[in-house]
Amino acid sequence: MRTGAARGQAGHFHEVGFYGSDIEFRALIVPFAEEGIAAGEPVIIGYDNRKNALVRSWLTDPSAVTFLADKSLYATPSRAIATYRRLFEFHAAMGAGQIRITGELSHPGNGGSFEGWDRYEAAVNTVWDDFPVWGLCLYDTASAPAGVLDFAERTHPRIVSPSGAHRANDRFQEAAVFEGLTFASDPLEQTTPMIELVDRSAAEARQALAQIGRGQVADTILEDLLIGVTEAVTNALLHGRAPVTVRFWTTPDRIVITVHDHGRGPADPLAGLVPTPSSRANPGLGLWLIHQLDMDVALKHADDGFTVRLRGGTTIG
Amino acid sequence: MPGVSNTLDLAGFQAVGMLRQICPRGLESSVRLAAMRVIGPVESPRGFGLQDHLCWVHGDLWDYRPRLTEFFSEGLERGLQVAYLGAGNVEELREHLDRFIDVGPLLTREALRVISFDEIYRAGEPVVPAEVIKKYAAATQEALTDGYRGLRISADVTDLVRAPEQQDAFARFEFLLERYSSRHPLSALCEYRLELGDAVTQFACMHAAVPAGLTPFQVFACDDGAVGLLGEFDAACQAAFKRALQSIQPAPDDSKLIFDMSAVRFMDHRALLALDSYAQRCQVPVLLRSMPPIVRRVARVLGLEHLGIVRTGGL
Repeated sequence: MRTGAARGQAGHFHEVGFYGSDIEFRALIVPFAEEGIAAGEPVIIGYDNRKNALVRSWLTDPSAVTFLADKSLYATPSRAIATYRRLFEFHAAMGAGQIRITGELSHPGNGGSFEGWDRYEAAVNTVWDDFPVWGLCLYDTASAPAGVLDFAERTHPRIVSPSGAHRANDRFQEAAVFEGLTFASDPLEQTTPMIELVDRSAAEARQALAQIGRGQVADTILEDLLIGVTEAVTNALLHGRAPVTVRFWTTPDRIVITVHDHGRGPADPLAGLVPTPSSRANPGLGLWLIHQLDMDVALKHADDGFTVRLRGGTTIG
Repeated sequence: MPGVSNTLDLAGFQAVGMLRQICPRGLESSVRLAAMRVIGPVESPRGFGLQDHLCWVHGDLWDYRPRLTEFFSEGLERGLQVAYLGAGNVEELREHLDRFIDVGPLLTREALRVISFDEIYRAGEPVVPAEVIKKYAAATQEALTDGYRGLRISADVTDLVRAPEQQDAFARFEFLLERYSSRHPLSALCEYRLELGDAVTQFACMHAAVPAGLTPFQVFACDDGAVGLLGEFDAACQAAFKRALQSIQPAPDDSKLIFDMSAVRFMDHRALLALDSYAQRCQVPVLLRSMPPIVRRVARVLGLEHLGIVRTGGL
């Protein structure tokens, strides 16, 4: 039995709200949390330390909600999906009628990067549909760039205003037609790569990376990049169109790799964000795997083909 | 005792790319030393010991000649009985061998045997791996009884694996031979002809020692019964690895099968999933030990369902 605006709804009730001040933030979040506490529903809140502290001070019984402070749990979109899924499975098993979750994604306005989170916002409409989740995503109009706000509006089927009005969002686009942000290219990509390989095996790509990467970044990051470049090259060779070009750049503290082929890339707009459930041994699993690792993964569709970009070490936001 | 004799020391990689299984430091001299075996890709067919299992490939039979000469000469110098195997009767084989190689005065010690394939294999039919191994075991025992330090064999086995229906059985036999030689003084140089094409990989990967570049991965026997995996396992060799797994069976008395991963340089999720489904099918529990960090990383994210993990500190 679901309460509040999501009453009678099935699956993920994915709602966006925009605020321009702490007062508006309070007007959006307090009713959402208090209503859930009163109904005995699990309420999960994940903001930065300042906002978490504000919410704590506004609630009548802050001990009744769960504050997520460990940012590493949702360091990447794919990991956030995996982490939240486990959380939802737990609460669903405990018999929760509804799970309320609210948080703020990273974007340049709060010191992070929005790259990849647009696809996440589009993906969670379907991947959390197995659970009675009410997800409330709040965006700060004072700090979030206009492009981020635009994508936030287009990825949520529901919208709530600080006045408390909940309604269907007429700007919403289905994931199938959603086209994500164009990634800003990394400054290193404008320079001559240290190594360029054309139509070579994944083993040769690993060899090249091991050669230039050793000592540049931590061993664990180099290992993740070795796994990543293997999967990206393998997918390009098996599913893309030749020629397949792998480029490597390094600086003393980071490594950038691009794997480009002339195919159209995965047709699924959610590729990499969720493991494809039908079979564990299909091509989508490799892409999902690299999204779980400690590196920045970007997928770029362009007229000249498809590119996977991997960045490890100190990331430029 | 920490890390008994199954430890592979990666520092043992030699300039020529050999990985030798060595006895860990700190063992008392009274403890029987683990046998030295050459494990991994090699650049040269020289310097093999009492328990080495080596594969090589030739285009022309005459390319095999210098290797065979060297392999047998070194064997005789080490006090081994050597045996050459081939098709045809024993007289023909001996004549052929006399023209083929010259091992000089050592021949007078009658240490050189010839054995017809007919004695060991059944012409044109798939081998029965366990029966063939029994015959080699008996021959090895005979050599020991006659005062040799062991038996060394070599043959061009191409004709035994030409038909596709013979190949899987022969790969299983190669695995049993690998396991037998890891524990007994039987050394072997198995020659295949290039004309077999990619099929050679299926057999090559079942040898502890192979020429560099022939196969990206190998399966070898550790002297404690574990099955060692070596090299790089990714999509490029996924079909070959799955086929190799079909040739690996736990020994009849083993209550579990352990894969030693310490010589794996890379393994992708496909190969790990292949191992996981092997574990599902296997009649005994299957465990992985000594996983390198990069393999552990993939395994953790994947969440393997059927494979066990051996914790550090032994079995």
